[in-house]
Amino acid sequence: MGLKTLEKITAALESRPAELEQLRKQGKKIVGWLAYNIPEEIIYALGLIPIRIGQGGDGRLVEVGARHISTKNCVFVRQVLGQFAEKTDPYIKQLDLVAIDATCIQLYRLEELINFYFDYNTVVLGVPRNFATKEGHEYFRKEVEFFTKKLELFAGVSLEQSRLEEAIKIYDGIREAIKTLYRYQSLDNSLLSWRQVASVINAGYNLDRERYLELLQELIQEVEANLSEESGTREVEARIFLSGSLIPPGDTKLIDIIEQLGGRIVGDDLWSGLNFFLNLNIKEPTPYGVADAYIDRVPHGSLPYLDLKSDGRLANLKHQIKEFKADGVVYHTLRYCDAFTFKAGETKDVLGNIPFLEIHTEYSGSDFEAIRTRVEAFIEMIKSKKEIAELV
Amino acid sequence: MSISGNYFAGVDVGSLAAKSVILKDGEIFATGLVPSGVNSVESGLSALNLALETAGLKKEDLIYIVGTGYGRVSAPYANKAVTEITCHAKGTNYLHPTVRTIIDMGGQDCKAIRIDPDGSVVDFAMNDKCAAGTGRFLEVMAGVFKVKLEDLGSIALSATDTVPMSSTCTVFAESETISLVARGERPENILNGIHHSIANRIAGLFSRVGIESDVFFSGGVAKNSGMKTAIEQALKVNIVKPEIDPQLIGALGAAVIARNFARKEGLWA
Repeated sequence: MGLKTLEKITAALESRPAELEQLRKQGKKIVGWLAYNIPEEIIYALGLIPIRIGQGGDGRLVEVGARHISTKNCVFVRQVLGQFAEKTDPYIKQLDLVAIDATCIQLYRLEELINFYFDYNTVVLGVPRNFATKEGHEYFRKEVEFFTKKLELFAGVSLEQSRLEEAIKIYDGIREAIKTLYRYQSLDNSLLSWRQVASVINAGYNLDRERYLELLQELIQEVEANLSEESGTREVEARIFLSGSLIPPGDTKLIDIIEQLGGRIVGDDLWSGLNFFLNLNIKEPTPYGVADAYIDRVPHGSLPYLDLKSDGRLANLKHQIKEFKADGVVYHTLRYCDAFTFKAGETKDVLGNIPFLEIHTEYSGSDFEAIRTRVEAFIEMIKSKKEIAELV
Repeated sequence: MSISGNYFAGVDVGSLAAKSVILKDGEIFATGLVPSGVNSVESGLSALNLALETAGLKKEDLIYIVGTGYGRVSAPYANKAVTEITCHAKGTNYLHPTVRTIIDMGGQDCKAIRIDPDGSVVDFAMNDKCAAGTGRFLEVMAGVFKVKLEDLGSIALSATDTVPMSSTCTVFAESETISLVARGERPENILNGIHHSIANRIAGLFSRVGIESDVFFSGGVAKNSGMKTAIEQALKVNIVKPEIDPQLIGALGAAVIARNFARKEGLWA
């Protein structure tokens, strides 16, 4: 049985580009944003329409993007650049402003290129490398303040505290709902899968946030109403946790392979996945309050380890693996995504005994069989461990 | 004629060779090894038929067949498919129970595998998607020097020097080799350098999974004495002498797993 709310979300997504066209005709402006630390609440509170941009998984667009940057740059960045070069994406062609944060240096460069080659109005948000210090916090506060001023000029309105409070309330609701959906997808008696939750997250970045929150709450109710009474009846399964580089909409290669081979994804700490919604507590409805909350949450992998033992990303990774009862970690690294590629070995060593598989890939099909063999052997290894007395 | 005993087969279709092993109860009964063709189904069947012919058996006499290698995804003759990583682990454990680390070098990839005392995989790593450090790489090098593939190792062992080879990409290594020959370097010294450059690359794979004694070398390239020596030097280990052709280990493991599956499914007690 399918979940009806998922169909509603799909329908809402299909009609969204036309809806945006109408809203633009009425004078609304669209802000395309990318990465991890753009405070969407501020965009929303200013009456602007935030849309997270960027797709993956299309080798042809990567080649189009590579006409403007080196083939040694991150494959995701190349594809996004390809999307801007072609301008056929229904969202990208409607953007009035592009906002990118400098968490990942390659994405920061993307902002410059979009502005230089494709004449988009852009704004960049600086992010401190040393985010744990007082100076780091101060720098980010000033950056968010500056970012807000730029957006105020662009929107032609000033940021009102009451509007920001409303926005924070909506976004807090979305964050809580996503965390709830993650819990449900990891249960044995739920109709919801990780893949569906990932699609719901991606859809949400394009939809009206208030409407999206309503849909999420409806989905939760539907999932709760359909929880099966039987649980734990599945065969021995390999519960896979995804970590590493982002997996944006459109990039389904690794997910397809894991699922085709009988693996079950039960959680992730991807910045394109669950991490984005974790530990973000805005205590004060001001740009400074927003800045503090963003910089204090689970750090993005592009930021350095400040202290390996207390690193928030690693602590969160360990916690989530336990929380979702994962049997193994598939650590996904994208070609030339330096941040996560550099950290692969360390992450494996820090995690210790849990089975760990690094998959290094890009947006082409040439490595499909090679990845398939690695993932299949990994799943065999996990299953063999779980049913040690039996076969294989 | 009635057939006594219980027979299980493993078929390993690799990029360069297809191999099969038939187990009679718990013993190796027959083997088959043929070059792989374009059609992986036919290659697997050829190897299986060769082993059946040697054993004097028909396919129907086999209780269970497991396919492995890259051809496992298209093996209609097999009851089940299992990856070559798991099969090399099981095959090695069957022959050499004290082995904990396996280097498998096949036609198109290279694997570092660590196993537990039961022959279950504990960790593994594979080479990147290019052909560096594989049988195909050595085949190209044999072509450059116009020598037989099977002579490559002994030629490398006769070297008086090691000419460093900086490229591990097959295409670039070929052009680098031609430049070295033009510069007047001796072929055996260049080949020695090639073997050592591959061995050093393999050492990198082991930095990810670790090494624990005993160490075994499986796959077609394991028959290359020069590669065995270079790996022993790079990893600072002694490699266990194989009891059978090391190229058959994957198929042997598949046959061992076939026997286990047959037992689990109640086809054999």
